[in-house]
Amino acid sequence: MAPLLVLGLALCLSGTWAVDKGNFKTCEQSAFCKRQRALKPGESPYRALLETMELTNTRLTLQLINDNNKVRLLLELYRLQGNITRVKINELKPLKPRYEVPDVLIREPTTEPLSVLSQDENGVVLSLGVESQRVIISARPFRLDIMEGSDVLMSLNSRGLLAFEHLRMRKDTFSYKVTSTVASTTKEEEEKVEDGMWEETFKSHTDSKPNGPSAVSLDFSLPGVEHVYGIPEHADTLRLKTTDNGDPYRLYNLDVFQYELYNPMALYGSVPVMVAHSAQRTTGIFWLNAAETWVDISSNTAGKTVFGKMLDYVQGSSETPQTDVRWISESGIIDIFIMLGPTPKDVFSQYASLTGTQSFPPLASLGYHQCRWNYNDQEDVKSVDAGFDEHDIPYDFIWLDIEHTDGKRYFTWDPHKFATPKEMLQGLMDKKRKMVAIVDPHIKVDGNYKIHNEIRSRGFYVKNKDGGDYEGWCWPGSASYPDFTRADMRAWWASMFAYDQYEGTMENLYTWNDMNEPSVFNGPEVTMHKDATHGAWEHRDIHNLYGLYVQMATAEGLIQRSGGVERPFVLTRAFFAGSQRLGAVWTGDNAAEWGHLKISIPMCLSMGLVGISFCGADIGGFFKSPSTELLVRWYQAGAYQPFYRAHAHVDTPRREPWLFGPENTALIREAVRQRYTLLPYWYQLFYRAHVTGEPVMRPLWVEYPQDLATFALEDEYLIGKTNLLVHPVVEEGARGVTAYLPGKDEVWFDVHTFQKHNGAQNLYIPVTMSSIPVFQRGGSIIPRKLRVRRSSTCMEHDPYTLYVALNLQRTADGELYIDDGHTFNYEKKEFIYRKLTFANKVLSSVNLAPDAKFTTDSWIERIIVLGASKPSKVTLKTADGQEKQLEFDFDASMSVLTVRKPGMNAGADWTMTFQ
Amino acid sequence: MAAQVALRRQQAQEESEARDLRLLYPCTGIGGEAGIPQGSSISAGVPVSVSSSPAAACFDVFGSENQKDDKRFYRERKSFLCIDGSRMIPFEQVNDDYCDCEDGSDEPGTSACPRGRFYCTNLGFRPHYIPSSRVNDGICDCCDASDEYNSHARCQNTCWNLGQRERAYVEGQMRTLDEGLRLKQQLIEEGVLLWREKQAQLRELQQVAEDLQVKLEEHRRKKHEADRLKEQTLKALEAGDGGLIRHQNSSVASIFHLLDSNKDGSLTVDEIKAKVVLVHDEQRVLSEDEALALLDRGHRMDLSKFQSTLWDVLTRGDTVKIKDTQGAPGSLSSEDPHLKAADRAAEWEATNLKKVEEAYETVNMEISDLQKKLAIDYGTDWEFLFLNGQCYKLKVYEMWGMWTGKPKNHYSQMVYENGEPCWQGGSRSTTVTLTCGTETALRSVKEPSKCQYIMDFQTPVACQPVLKQQGIHSEL
Repeated sequence: MAPLLVLGLALCLSGTWAVDKGNFKTCEQSAFCKRQRALKPGESPYRALLETMELTNTRLTLQLINDNNKVRLLLELYRLQGNITRVKINELKPLKPRYEVPDVLIREPTTEPLSVLSQDENGVVLSLGVESQRVIISARPFRLDIMEGSDVLMSLNSRGLLAFEHLRMRKDTFSYKVTSTVASTTKEEEEKVEDGMWEETFKSHTDSKPNGPSAVSLDFSLPGVEHVYGIPEHADTLRLKTTDNGDPYRLYNLDVFQYELYNPMALYGSVPVMVAHSAQRTTGIFWLNAAETWVDISSNTAGKTVFGKMLDYVQGSSETPQTDVRWISESGIIDIFIMLGPTPKDVFSQYASLTGTQSFPPLASLGYHQCRWNYNDQEDVKSVDAGFDEHDIPYDFIWLDIEHTDGKRYFTWDPHKFATPKEMLQGLMDKKRKMVAIVDPHIKVDGNYKIHNEIRSRGFYVKNKDGGDYEGWCWPGSASYPDFTRADMRAWWASMFAYDQYEGTMENLYTWNDMNEPSVFNGPEVTMHKDATHGAWEHRDIHNLYGLYVQMATAEGLIQRSGGVERPFVLTRAFFAGSQRLGAVWTGDNAAEWGHLKISIPMCLSMGLVGISFCGADIGGFFKSPSTELLVRWYQAGAYQPFYRAHAHVDTPRREPWLFGPENTALIREAVRQRYTLLPYWYQLFYRAHVTGEPVMRPLWVEYPQDLATFALEDEYLIGKTNLLVHPVVEEGARGVTAYLPGKDEVWFDVHTFQKHNGAQNLYIPVTMSSIPVFQRGGSIIPRKLRVRRSSTCMEHDPYTLYVALNLQRTADGELYIDDGHTFNYEKKEFIYRKLTFANKVLSSVNLAPDAKFTTDSWIERIIVLGASKPSKVTLKTADGQEKQLEFDFDASMSVLTVRKPGMNAGADWTMTFQ
Repeated sequence: MAAQVALRRQQAQEESEARDLRLLYPCTGIGGEAGIPQGSSISAGVPVSVSSSPAAACFDVFGSENQKDDKRFYRERKSFLCIDGSRMIPFEQVNDDYCDCEDGSDEPGTSACPRGRFYCTNLGFRPHYIPSSRVNDGICDCCDASDEYNSHARCQNTCWNLGQRERAYVEGQMRTLDEGLRLKQQLIEEGVLLWREKQAQLRELQQVAEDLQVKLEEHRRKKHEADRLKEQTLKALEAGDGGLIRHQNSSVASIFHLLDSNKDGSLTVDEIKAKVVLVHDEQRVLSEDEALALLDRGHRMDLSKFQSTLWDVLTRGDTVKIKDTQGAPGSLSSEDPHLKAADRAAEWEATNLKKVEEAYETVNMEISDLQKKLAIDYGTDWEFLFLNGQCYKLKVYEMWGMWTGKPKNHYSQMVYENGEPCWQGGSRSTTVTLTCGTETALRSVKEPSKCQYIMDFQTPVACQPVLKQQGIHSEL
């Protein structure tokens, strides 16, 4: 009896350690996806009615007709500033309005003139104004090609998979039969009613679908393209795979318990943006739709071996490589932004011009975050905080998960465990540290809970299909969900963060929004019913947007409580296009496995490509307990990823950095210290990301767009332009890694040993447990602060060390950005922004923003020149014309020159001559 | 290298000779030009050790430990050798806010060196070192505020208050300790008494066990004897006059007579009905037909017929039996008085033996229990003995845990493994920390991770007579 029981238990346990795929739909189980995917290419019923074309200066409209059912669509085409073409397709006369996504675009995009170049009965040719770019609209079947010269950059509906399910009245079975007999006389072919059009059941949940079928779909062809990226969030490779033999990539924000690696299942967030790249050009497609979306990818070269491709090339018989993409959404309209590059950075700035850039985070949030579900009480917080001091490991934020609340009522504190939160926060503030407390969007249904009562009485909750407040099951038990799509609801929510509303809070308390997909434990696919309503709209229409709105309202609350002075910090799990404007994102509930460490790189790279730079994975892995080796490696890898937070599940043993013996504590300390020395660089990159939309952590191909060897690399990446290349160790028991150092004429310096390596090679690097392979490119200048202290704020006034890595031309450049680190005053030009240049044996600092004003106590403590030759003297000339000779050290074996204590202020003009 | 080492030795010697040189920060005439960045606010008030003034018969270098040998390294001279001997630098570069020495020894008073440390003098309180990274970081670390000489932090000198509080605390601790030690002594004495008592008890039990052992053998012998006697009697009976058959015949006859109520030498239906019943239903009177069947369908049955028919049925005992008797009449066999006596004697001896065996077993169990308890590590003076069998608040464990304190104080911590299973697998474990107090009580229970508990247990026996606060400046 007993052995049997044990066996049963063991089976049960092993069963819990993987995603239960049965909880989530496949395309086949999602009625609209199944319907749409069943369409065959080459049979497009759509025809452009050229006679309906109207062209104002910046807007072209044209009707399309579906020859099968005579339903007309309206196509709008805009030329947008910055080489973007927008195409909108909606029903000409929909039965009722269809959802168009608000609040994602930062403004109505600026349009540019369009003109007709030629027109006949077969089509129209439009000029896009620049670089001989044209749009060709073909009438029968409807098709749209974007050309540059004689090259087709992108084609729409070239495979004839445009499909637009028009809104219709529901006919019961009887009357349907009647109309169908009449149909032949009315000539309009009635579409047959299929299962799942008016009702759909998945597991025990029935979706009532009162509006019937409403899906939209369109195909895109990308000639010359073999590599496509983006459409996060998926636990998959950086380079997207073809989906012919499986499910399409799914975009539907879901709380997936113990997600599986390398598959196209939906995860917590969705950014419907794909980036296509070839050696010639980079383009992007932004499909602005917040409903459940599936993306199919196929390629005419996918199945071919390298040899096959070579054979094609030799024989000259090859067709051009091409990638075909198809987007399918459940409702809404087709609203696409075609970003035409041509460079990766152009695509980033084009996308940023539409949805905005990465929010500029407070400097401290780039430091290390210590989190756990849960730190149990104030004493626990205090002792963990003291542990960091005792072991001399810096950190900036300690986090409180759901258990800190009074019975999962957010905006409250457990009266016993956290009786005096201000005292706790003051204790942290005394050490210049901060805290994050969780605020989730599910609200406990409890008549004694102020937040619930207010939301209910104001009618702010999402409604179920019958008009009552929607209720689901989540952490607090029965919970309702505020309708964050309402601006008045968001404004009210924001006001709840005021210090007099959210009791026990102080300015060093920030916020974490979890479960905002939204997660509904007893809902279909662990989320909200699609027929729940947000005013006039169904949850179906807005689903992927919900999480963004939660973070938007929360971030606004943090801004408002400071009177608009302080930058907010809000971490979110669910996200959408535009979420980059609001804070940080993490990759959700990963696991303490080597595979999860490894995939954190492509997952964050994918997000960076579509605007979300502030990304990280739970250090150590959320579920399960990491081996010590895995934990150390994760700390090392995480030190070089944008958002650096350790987190752990409540059922796992404690894993604060000092619990694994002095040797491992030292390894973790060193990794965290490396992070802190580089904070000035991280901060300046986030400033750049905020201004330009370029990712902070980026794939190599972004900087080496013609180097085919880089196109699929996902085990290494760059931080900032080309300046730092990181190849973290993510394999158990690794003795070495092979890093690809790009650039034929480049040199790379190991940042730890200063050893120089040539570019364009695969370099084998032997590693020990202390190794974090990182290289600085010759030609770059990176500022660091080497006086690592308890927290980033403690380092505010510290001096800089400049690492000048010379290239083969013996030049280098870089930047230095300084501001107060936490307010919006940088918007009022209160910052220092300088260009650092080394050329002709002169290193200089020049003001990049002469109209900006800020003063700093920080000075230049040391300059380290890598790849230097020995000077006879080094002279500093300051702005006031004074000159002084500087002491220096020269290490001939490594060609490293260290200039001792030049001492000038970091905000000043100066030149340094190496004679 | 060798030359450097030699130089280092010489330097140290000179320095020990110059121990009387003393200067307290701030020195007059320091600060200013030496190596401080122009235009940087850091220049104000930096206690650079450098002074170009020849009056610098100064000083303990700021941030180094003045009270001890350290100061000899910082005697002002033309050059300074890093304490690890790695490098020689001009003396102006000591405490000039730039790290020259790998070991941080050139910057004891600034935050310049990653490996450096800063000495808080903390007059009135306990002096101690802090990492250099805590110098001028805006947080008051030294109670004398000496670490924040150039920061935005407004630090008060709190050493006096801290010292007082510390002294009060220490006094309290000492009182607790004294009281605790007194109680501990009591408990030790009690423990020793208890220990002795238990030892005596053990010896007593062992004596009892020995006695029982003797008794046991005696009884075994007796039982053996009785058994043998019984056997002999039985054999004699069987072998002797008439043997088994006669004995059986007489039995058959006696049963026949028993049934033959009117003693007419034959059994009738009525006689059968009066004396014979069904084994499974004793209450019911047999029917006419049933009785007739037992008489083998004849209305009368004599002894010889009885012996060959009904006797067999009765001796089988599975259908019918004689009223008010148990089972088959075979047990009636031993009517012999000798046999009866022998049988009774054997039974008597068996019972006696069993009793003695049980007693012996019980005593042995008690002995082993006691021995187990006495084998537990109750501390060097059996001071923890009194805790055995006591339960404090959270009853999860029924066993004595393992002492896991550091070698210095082995009895300061106890770990209990393999507690009740946890729902996610694994079992509960608890670490109990023992601290000195005047009462024996569980002070706090925490669960830092699921199913891992930390308990704080106060008891006088954890008091160690070594606790003595060192280092508080007693001059204040």
